[in-house]
Amino acid sequence: MDQLLSFEDQLSALLPRLRRFAHALSRDPADADDLTQATIERALRSRDQWQPGTKLDSWCYRIMRNLWIDTARTRARRNRREAPEEEGLTVGEDPRESMDAAVDLKKIMVAMSQLPDEQREIVALILIEGFGYREVSEMLGLPIGTVSSRLVRGRTALLAMVGEQ
Amino acid sequence: MTEDGKFFAWLDGELGPAEAADMEAKVAADEQLQQLAEQHRALRAQLRGAFDPIAAAPVPDQLTIHPSAKVIDFAAAKRVRLPSLPQWSAMAATLVLGLFLGTKVPQHGSSLVAVKDGRLYAASALNHSLDTELASAPRGDVRIGLTFRDHSGEVCRSFTASAASGLACRSDGHWRLKGLFGAPEGQGGDYRMAAGMDPNLAALVDSTMAGEPFDAAAERAAKKEGWR
Repeated sequence: MDQLLSFEDQLSALLPRLRRFAHALSRDPADADDLTQATIERALRSRDQWQPGTKLDSWCYRIMRNLWIDTARTRARRNRREAPEEEGLTVGEDPRESMDAAVDLKKIMVAMSQLPDEQREIVALILIEGFGYREVSEMLGLPIGTVSSRLVRGRTALLAMVGEQ
Repeated sequence: MTEDGKFFAWLDGELGPAEAADMEAKVAADEQLQQLAEQHRALRAQLRGAFDPIAAAPVPDQLTIHPSAKVIDFAAAKRVRLPSLPQWSAMAATLVLGLFLGTKVPQHGSSLVAVKDGRLYAASALNHSLDTELASAPRGDVRIGLTFRDHSGEVCRSFTASAASGLACRSDGHWRLKGLFGAPEGQGGDYRMAAGMDPNLAALVDSTMAGEPFDAAAERAAKKEGWR
């Protein structure tokens, strides 16, 4: 069926999921949309490098993730002297609120922000985006054991932060 | 895989049938593991609950891909012909005002571009850079890209400043601008491609160049000869 859809249509169909992943990576709505836009542009420009028959979603997620790494690196250099945003966000929050069943996006975002980048991306790809271990291992070019151990560490840390029920 | 890893792989449905059955039995016999499984299932549900509304929301208009979406494509840029000269000069002049007033190129004179007899020439710092800079030894804010000869045998040089890039060729002892291109809108900062020429400039260079670009030695020699 996919073969009948144009590259643009397939990419278009992926946008809602790509935006979701962009939010998980960047933890900021404006950054997320910029990242999604940059991913679309890169994907359109590099469409010749995508092999029809392989999964377009994995390919686009990888583009987005690599763009994000570049961005994060640039930003880290620029913001070196500024206080991390996460510190500001957590000040004054009552930790007991996190015990509520309805943990909203903001709280999850704050918790996600505490994870190292390499754990956050794997938590997002597997627990939120629903990819399998092997797909993520191929997407990121990492051994499956590394994917598994980062996932264990990331989800364990998240659970400790958002609270058990 | 570690024991922890195996437990989570089971939880994520990643184990083969035999291993899954083993882990299933193990969890069934261990209350702590059962509790852990419950907590992590709940965590996953929380994550999905928090993030799924993003995927369910309408995609903002500016992110929608239209069939006519502008794609920067070298081949396509090449096919686009520049408008005829008078029209182009006026357009370029407008661009120049907008772009070069905003650049951080050190300016001793007022403008980097001078208009003479309806033609655009490099002036002040841009002129100086074109005269003196070598691509093989970059300094300053105007960076020289390629140096080559055009089909009439004149020396041409491509350059990049902070907000624009362009191509200038020798004409009666001056650097006459053949093209000037602004950095694309919306490509500020983070996502700018590190490498690569503006595709319009690349197409202009491609159509202007006769033969091969100068190497470092040829560039130095041409400078010594006053770019003749």
